[in-house]
Amino acid sequence: MCIMVMKRKSDKRGQLKIQQMAFMLMAITLFFVLVGMFVLVIKFSGLKESATELEEKNAMLLVTKLANSPEFSCGGAFGSNRINCVDADKAMMLKENMHKYINFWGVSNIEIRKIYPKADSDVICNLGNYPDCNIIKMRPKEITGYDMSNFISLCRKEFSGDEVYDKCELAKIMVSYEKK
Amino acid sequence: MEKRWLQLVIKMNKKGFLQISFAWLFAILVGAVILFLAIYLSTKLIRTEQTSIGAQTGKEIGILLNPLETSFETGKTTSLTLPVETRIYNKCNNNGIFGNQIIQISQKSFNKWTETDIDIAFSNKYIFSEKYVEGKKFYVFSKPFEFPFKVADLIYITSSLKKYCFVNPPEDIEEELLDLEQQNLLIEDCSDSKNVMVCFGDSNCNINVNYYAKYVEKNNKKMYFEGDTLMYAAIFSDSDVYECQLKRLMQRVENLALLYKDKAIFIAETGCHSNLNLMELVNIAGGFSSSEELYEMNRLVEDIKEKNELAECALW
Repeated sequence: MCIMVMKRKSDKRGQLKIQQMAFMLMAITLFFVLVGMFVLVIKFSGLKESATELEEKNAMLLVTKLANSPEFSCGGAFGSNRINCVDADKAMMLKENMHKYINFWGVSNIEIRKIYPKADSDVICNLGNYPDCNIIKMRPKEITGYDMSNFISLCRKEFSGDEVYDKCELAKIMVSYEKK
Repeated sequence: MEKRWLQLVIKMNKKGFLQISFAWLFAILVGAVILFLAIYLSTKLIRTEQTSIGAQTGKEIGILLNPLETSFETGKTTSLTLPVETRIYNKCNNNGIFGNQIIQISQKSFNKWTETDIDIAFSNKYIFSEKYVEGKKFYVFSKPFEFPFKVADLIYITSSLKKYCFVNPPEDIEEELLDLEQQNLLIEDCSDSKNVMVCFGDSNCNINVNYYAKYVEKNNKKMYFEGDTLMYAAIFSDSDVYECQLKRLMQRVENLALLYKDKAIFIAETGCHSNLNLMELVNIAGGFSSSEELYEMNRLVEDIKEKNELAECALW
């Protein structure tokens, strides 16, 4: 009788130990899973941040050189080679062909805004109102997210009487990028 | 009676021993599973981290090459130093309207190169280098490519570990290389046998340049060029990279020619005429397949260039 009681007691103690251990192991697993998830969340938020930082850096470096890229630059069309000069006639043609250049520069939009001589109101350029306008938007959508800008000279061929001459104005080129 | 008691105690002890061993077995099994999972997840996490660092470095390199594309940076060497030994894989494809410049980064970790299949693609960059360049320090320089208008700035990347020795270059090339002051581009000083020999007019070097027949011979393959910009491109890159990038450049020529054609029609309304044969250039550039076609194409390019210079209104 005494032996039977002892056996049952030791059986119960063994079961209790297994239960304790199982709970402990579950707790440890859960702990590791939570720690892992925490680490992953931090890592991925960091990744998003660095993606946005890289976008910003790209926009910043791009805006300084964009006016000199062949699709925008004046080249020698207005006399000697000019730096940071945008050919407005070419920019208008680029605007019409912008569907080809959607991801070409890796930014969400490009806008050229005439700043001097100052216009009374903002008029977006199209083939109908050009050159009596002051904003050339490469894509019709609004500039969203963040933008970077740089001063440029905006030149075009102007017709007066029976004479064609080069007209250059002060403008700003803006590139925008979306936050990731 | 005493004997029976003893047998029972022994039996019980045995059972107790079994119970302890089961608990241990259970703990060991679950512990092993946990340890396996922990090690597996850590390895995965490390790989993900390495891939992410590779992707970030690739993107950063591409972005840092932005200022090199401006014309006023021409002829200037800059260096790029990375914290660890790095391989920059230079890939290219002709998909889409402009094709893609693809960069892949592999870095040394625990004396092993990390594997990556993350492609960092750029449409507006043209990098000329070997299939991969390896090291911590890289030299980068750029030159504009005009055909007949400015098409792009070509970027040449070389590792500081690889030295190029130019033998008998034409005077203007020698002057340009001296002006660059790039430490791994040597002239005539070819004492080290490890140097890559670039010979002009000789045919027993690693790279042979026939400046007058306008081709570069490298690994028994001929790469044809027009102008010094493409000559450097052929010298510093593999033939596959060169041909692919050249095709991408022609894709851009085609689209720029269309842009100039539209501009010509647009400004003609203001009385500004320029009569250039741009549609022929569009067609030839659109059907471009290898550098062998450059010579024929160059005749048309020279003709258009001359006409643009003499036009009432220059288009570029």
